[in-house]
Amino acid sequence: MATVEINGKEFEIDEDGFLLDYNNFSDEWVEYVRQQEGIDELTDEHTKVVTILQDYYEKNGIAPMVRVLSKLTKFKLKHIYELFPSGPGKGACKMAGLPKPTGCV
Amino acid sequence: MAFISSGYNPDKPMEDRITDIGPRKYDEFYPSVIAKNKGKWSHHEILEAGVIVHVAESGDEVYTVRVGGCRLMTTTHLEEICQIADKHCDGHVRFTTRNNVEFMVDSKDKVEPLKNDLASRIFSGGSQKFPIGGTGAGITNIVHTQGWIHCHTPATDASGTVKATMDEVFEDFQSMRLPAKLRISMACCLNMCGAVHCSDIAILGYHRKPPMLDHEYLDKICEIPLAIKACPTAAIRPAKTKLADGTEVKTVAVKNERCMFCGNCYTMCPSMPLADTEGDGIVLMAGGKVSNRISHPKFSKVVVAFIPNDMPRWPSMTDAIKKMINAYSNGANKYERLGDWAERIGWEKFFEVCELDFSHHLIDDFRQQAYMSWRQSTQFKF
Repeated sequence: MATVEINGKEFEIDEDGFLLDYNNFSDEWVEYVRQQEGIDELTDEHTKVVTILQDYYEKNGIAPMVRVLSKLTKFKLKHIYELFPSGPGKGACKMAGLPKPTGCV
Repeated sequence: MAFISSGYNPDKPMEDRITDIGPRKYDEFYPSVIAKNKGKWSHHEILEAGVIVHVAESGDEVYTVRVGGCRLMTTTHLEEICQIADKHCDGHVRFTTRNNVEFMVDSKDKVEPLKNDLASRIFSGGSQKFPIGGTGAGITNIVHTQGWIHCHTPATDASGTVKATMDEVFEDFQSMRLPAKLRISMACCLNMCGAVHCSDIAILGYHRKPPMLDHEYLDKICEIPLAIKACPTAAIRPAKTKLADGTEVKTVAVKNERCMFCGNCYTMCPSMPLADTEGDGIVLMAGGKVSNRISHPKFSKVVVAFIPNDMPRWPSMTDAIKKMINAYSNGANKYERLGDWAERIGWEKFFEVCELDFSHHLIDDFRQQAYMSWRQSTQFKF
């Protein structure tokens, strides 16, 4: 497992760049993922998606289904892709510090 | 090698990005004789194993030479396929749904040179690069999966078992002596990617040990509810445990006597690996088909509960497959698929003539419909 340092803070990540421990999430992590995912500027909409993902994860122990995320954020999937070019799994969940999506992906 | 840019700018990933263009349209690649006669074919004939002629209403003919492909191919090999296509077929070639390669020519006198060229090409190890065959009532290519080449959940290897099996049944690839076509498929775990659940003979990777639990990381890298829900027998429940250093972590507990080693939980949760050198092996299934010819499509049924992984040639697996094919070719009527034959003679006779052992593992015990697979009749043969 590799570690990355951003603004003086260290994070343990896996080979796909996902945070290894959700509890280590911090604003520096968001900044790191923003650079990695090629997002120019963080908007309130990004923060809203991240917050909703984290609330859902803390409450339910899983990441929401795409339809649920759409419904909770009131963003269409197309708009989520505009915010996070890699999509809700590789982009938004990574930024929120959630575990890497599993299954036949 | 030093980095060579394709023109993509990582600082502006969305700039000049082309997306949603789909695959190239199929008719861009038609040989002229196919494009001309599309939808106007009159009949076809298998001239010999691996060579088919289609005759159009206009009288045009197209000769197809089908050759075996190993599916996992290098670009060097693909380049050689292209060279052959350039030399004999005006640059056209196609791949079949079982990953064979088909070269098409538009007149009979082009067939012999093409066949001779194909037959002359041999790997330095001695294997044929382009063996001609795979048509009619024989054994064509084996639909298979990734195995130890690339996948993380396999219980056996795909390319290795397939090469071992095709070597054993190679004569049937190049001949058409069987009662009907016999499809062999391979999947390296019971995700069953491909066609194992509906093939005449199927090779399936199988585990025999429950998952190991990596408590320290489980809650960090898994979504625990997904791992619980992945289990078809509800053997997994949420739990808490104390690590060696005294911290209490969320994790799962597995009831081993309910676990049947499907590996679904590992698919969802990387902290539950279950691959094991001695535990893993192969299950053989038989009697499936997808066509509607005469009888309805069938699922294949488990006929050999376990064969150990015996790298690199899997002799006991190829031996069991050979026994089934021989018994089938001796016993079945013309046009009878392996499943039709087994159902006609009765599965008790199938096990007798194939000299396969019947064990309690083969009796269905999964949920309510298992009952339907038991014999509720006095009709059986001693």
